[in-house]
Amino acid sequence: MSHSTSSYNEQNSTSALSEQPRVLVAKKHQLLVRWSHWLNVPILLGLILSGMSTYWASPVYQHKPDPTTGNVDFVADVGTWICAHVPGLLHYSSPPDWVYDHMSLGPYLLADALRLHWFFAYLFMLNGLVYIAGLALSGEWRALLPRLTDVRGALNMARYYAGKPVAMLLRRTWLHPRFATKYNALQRPAYFCVSVAGCLSVATGWSIHKPMQLHWLAAIFGGYDAARTWHFWLMWLFILFVVPHVILVFADGWDTLRSMIVGWSARVHRSEEFENER
Amino acid sequence: MSADENHPTRKPEEIPSAEKRPQPRLKAQRFFEEQGPKIIKAAPGDLHRLTRRDLLLFGAGSLGALAGIGYLLPQETLGRLGVHADLDSPKKERFLNSALRFDDDVAEALYSPNRIVPTYSKSQITALRNNYNGATPDPSYIPGWRLTLEGLASGVSVSLDIRTLLARFTPHEQITRFVCVEGWSTIAWWSGLKFDDLLHAYPPISQARWARVDSSVNLDEAGNPDPYYASLDFATARHPQTLLATRFNGQPLTVEHGAPLRLLVPVKLGLKNVKAVTKITYRVDQPSDYWAERGYSRYDGI
Repeated sequence: MSHSTSSYNEQNSTSALSEQPRVLVAKKHQLLVRWSHWLNVPILLGLILSGMSTYWASPVYQHKPDPTTGNVDFVADVGTWICAHVPGLLHYSSPPDWVYDHMSLGPYLLADALRLHWFFAYLFMLNGLVYIAGLALSGEWRALLPRLTDVRGALNMARYYAGKPVAMLLRRTWLHPRFATKYNALQRPAYFCVSVAGCLSVATGWSIHKPMQLHWLAAIFGGYDAARTWHFWLMWLFILFVVPHVILVFADGWDTLRSMIVGWSARVHRSEEFENER
Repeated sequence: MSADENHPTRKPEEIPSAEKRPQPRLKAQRFFEEQGPKIIKAAPGDLHRLTRRDLLLFGAGSLGALAGIGYLLPQETLGRLGVHADLDSPKKERFLNSALRFDDDVAEALYSPNRIVPTYSKSQITALRNNYNGATPDPSYIPGWRLTLEGLASGVSVSLDIRTLLARFTPHEQITRFVCVEGWSTIAWWSGLKFDDLLHAYPPISQARWARVDSSVNLDEAGNPDPYYASLDFATARHPQTLLATRFNGQPLTVEHGAPLRLLVPVKLGLKNVKAVTKITYRVDQPSDYWAERGYSRYDGI
């Protein structure tokens, strides 16, 4: 990316005309990318709720039957533990169902859950194609490719995020690491990995769904039972991604959130932004 | 975006890095290189109007998605969320079942009559649970058990006892994975006659495309008769690994696993593998399925 002096002058000439009611905005997210981004919210919610109801029918993680209750499901144990220790839940009607009551459609709903899971799974695959189409048409995929420098950069960003709340409490300046790319060195690998995780969810999903016709696919993940384990933990990866993703977009401000809705950002120059922060 | 001319510009000041130093680059390298954002000049008025439009659309879309998801959730889930209005309707059922039908069509398209499912060694065998949905039948039915065949080309029905079946057909052995709709799976060693051999010995009516497989000995949880039935398409029935199993892990079938004869279809979910088969009827139209009538899919190919 060589920047010539001519483009620099062009930049100056446009700002010289700032008496005119014109503002500069930077194109950020292509229409299809924005659509598929937001559609992922209801789709993933539907997949997780119906997926956990399916998990209930035959948990991946089981132990020997409990001598008194006969329970074999670790997730049910988590519910029992929560209801025994969280004030206000001590009289919960069915403690082993607590997790399923709050993180799934509910227990005893396997048929409903599977039907919804297929419905949302096909939507998820279609939505993935829309996302890929948006990235391909706009060339935005290039901004998502991780670089070798991201290893160090991601650590710097993680240090920044970890120290920022403390710095705010102590009213100390805490400088954002500088970067000249669309995404910072932590965002880039995170968005890249979560896209890969989406593909892996689809692949492990098919491995579980059609373990005979697609037995070669299941074999890649270590067979049918292992593919279920993969599929389960990929769900947690999405949840682990979404939590900081949502926190950071609100922390970063309205411009970032708005850009995923309208497509453009008013932050034309990254460098100006760092100036403002100081 | 507004009709203003686009200005692809470069950032006036950039952090010097190795990447930025002018150096000869390969075409392929440039292809993967991130490009700076496209900068657009816009009138603030236009920008405000477009932003308002997009935010309103986004809000409407969010409400629509919320309503859509709410509508599709099972009544029990809605009740837990405090929505007690009855949203169940034949229309909703039809819509949700269309997802099942679509998925069944995909499964049927994926099926290949020549694809052999993986087989395992005896050391890989795992325990098979008795997943009778209701009570396990009393074994007293076994001595008088007979298999009835209907819908035959001959026009008469045939009734066979287990000794005739064992004497007449060559047994086949296989160690295959058995997958339940609930999610668990098991590897078991089965032995029995090929369904295809039965079809050849007792040919069905020429237009028949389906077999309805019945078990009259099935019970509900209270122990009352609750006949079980499943449909099986001929393409699957003719698969070389589709058996009418009589032995399990080297022993004759026990009552828990459908003595004296059960359907064993490795390319289908466990719920198609009818235990203690008492009747097979060849049909032109797709027969009903016990579990499809309870909200599960019908084809169940895996």
